[in-house]
Amino acid sequence: MLKINNLQASVEEKQILKGLNLEINPGEVHAIMGPNGAGKSTLGNVLSGRDGYEVNEGSAELDGADLFDLEPEERAHAGLFLAFQYPVEIPGVSNLEFLKAAIEAHAKANDIEPPSSAELLKQAKEACKAVDLPLAFLKRGVNEGFSGGEKKRNEILQMMLLKPKLAILDETDSGLDIDALQVVAKGVNSMRAADRSLIVVTHYQRLLDYIKPDFVHVLADGKIVKSGGPELAHELEAQGYAWLENGEKAGENA
Amino acid sequence: MSHWFENAIERGEQLTLSAQRTASLELLKNTPWPTRKTEAWKYTPLKAVQGFNATASEVLAAEQIEGLQAIDVVPGSELPTELPAGLTMQWLAADDVDASLFQQVKPNRHLFGLVNDVLAENVLQIRVAAGTEVATPIRIVQQLTAGSETHVRVLVEIEEKASLTVIEQFAGSEQSLNTLFAEYRIADDAKLEHYRLALQTEQAMSLGGSHFQLFDRSQLNSNVVGFGSDVSRIDMDVRHSGQHAFAKLNAIYLLDGKELFDLHSTIEHEMPNGTTEENIRGIAAGSARAVFNGRIHIHRDAQKTLAELNNRNLLLSNKAEINTKPELEIYADDVRCAHGATIAETDKTALYYLQSRGIGKEEAQIMLNFAFINELVDDMPNQAIAEWLRPQLRQRFAKMGE
Repeated sequence: MLKINNLQASVEEKQILKGLNLEINPGEVHAIMGPNGAGKSTLGNVLSGRDGYEVNEGSAELDGADLFDLEPEERAHAGLFLAFQYPVEIPGVSNLEFLKAAIEAHAKANDIEPPSSAELLKQAKEACKAVDLPLAFLKRGVNEGFSGGEKKRNEILQMMLLKPKLAILDETDSGLDIDALQVVAKGVNSMRAADRSLIVVTHYQRLLDYIKPDFVHVLADGKIVKSGGPELAHELEAQGYAWLENGEKAGENA
Repeated sequence: MSHWFENAIERGEQLTLSAQRTASLELLKNTPWPTRKTEAWKYTPLKAVQGFNATASEVLAAEQIEGLQAIDVVPGSELPTELPAGLTMQWLAADDVDASLFQQVKPNRHLFGLVNDVLAENVLQIRVAAGTEVATPIRIVQQLTAGSETHVRVLVEIEEKASLTVIEQFAGSEQSLNTLFAEYRIADDAKLEHYRLALQTEQAMSLGGSHFQLFDRSQLNSNVVGFGSDVSRIDMDVRHSGQHAFAKLNAIYLLDGKELFDLHSTIEHEMPNGTTEENIRGIAAGSARAVFNGRIHIHRDAQKTLAELNNRNLLLSNKAEINTKPELEIYADDVRCAHGATIAETDKTALYYLQSRGIGKEEAQIMLNFAFINELVDDMPNQAIAEWLRPQLRQRFAKMGE
């Protein structure tokens, strides 16, 4: 599904990703963990095409399509979805209008019939219920005045409606209390499917108690330095990330 | 000198006027017709007014606002007889005006205000008795037939702890001219929700103003919408004559073609502890011209005033023009004031967010541009008016720059 090869990327001429490799098969859930500043958020931003993130080398293919050849909206049409760490407030654009525009753009790009307004409203209402957001949110400005937890739930709501092939959840657990975390996890789990893959980017293991990953990777200093199964998350929780630094220093000395 | 202006003065001289109106006529005779050098009219040429010849004075009821139950008033027509308790309305006879609110709130510096003082053929008095909350809005509608000219005055007194909603609605595109000046006296703890929907276009000229005087703890929420025409000029003035009064003034304008829209506002903070929030946003395309002049004057005694004035504009063509001038005059030392006038720039993060959801860059840009205006529509307390306006604004916006 996703193949990232030797990805090197920089922000404001500072290199953040330094040769990242990752391969994800359909239906898999991969967790990416790591200390602050390791490049976790950069990965999502680079893959989704945010301005100011420059790819210096390497490639990323989603089902064979070179992501870096595509505009951000084309990447979305190809099936990529990024749940933002800091969802953006857009006063003056209602949530429903926003969802409608997004769904219609997807339908158009993929040459399928968009849902009728009534059908769309029905889907949006169902998604609202699934993530425990009041229906009144659909009429309000996108994320306008939402609490941190509401914003994160709105990201999941969008994911449910857009049904991506590959979703990247960028620190979706940050700022969530345990109840909101469970709601978010439930929403995400309901989206797990044989033809859909997930990347769960997180600093803490907590979220992974609710969204069980197939693989866990440790990202440090712009590279994946260790990969393993779910047990790796527990190790990290017990040991923290300090060993990374020591390990590297040991490596340098050797 | 202008033909129209000379004619207006002549017409005034033929009328039997009250003492106050006679004084305005004298003042008017000594007022020069504005030129490009007249500061208050610098960017608003009055050529179309100058050449206007009235042949009628016919006012039609403008289109209904869907979903809005209102008490409709058409100048020159009979008033509704059944009114909610505590609300009274009447057309004043010419010699009654001196005993009323006439000219008590409106400053006499407005040229067309003086014209209105003299020529107002319909003077509507509205009173809300103390403690009465009038739930049904009053809608004063103005749509002139071709060749018509009217001058309407509205005098509104909202007594202590009372509340009212007034909509001043303008429509039509035929060659015509109207002035409508409204004066609102909002007593202690009273509330006014106000809309000035200046939706006249093309050759329908409208010059007028809404003037508010606020007393202790009173609240004003005023919303202006302007489309622009050959000449569209509104003066919005607020006087804080009491303490702890709150004034919120939102205005949006959407201009295209050769439309002109001119908004002048003056906020006088005369007393301590007053608050003013002023948000003015406009979009201009084609070779349209917007003028905004926003003055906030904080008097020496007006300590602890909070005043914010923000004017943001979006230009969709390089021939469109925005002339904006915020002015702050502060004579008290313990106040918090901010003002700004900017040409709006696209929020790149918002653009990326929309694109990341599959919305094309061009469409996302259009959504954000409209949102810039729509944010203030969302902010309108009356949902029916907001819902009625939104598609019209959207349609107008969609045609802009075509």
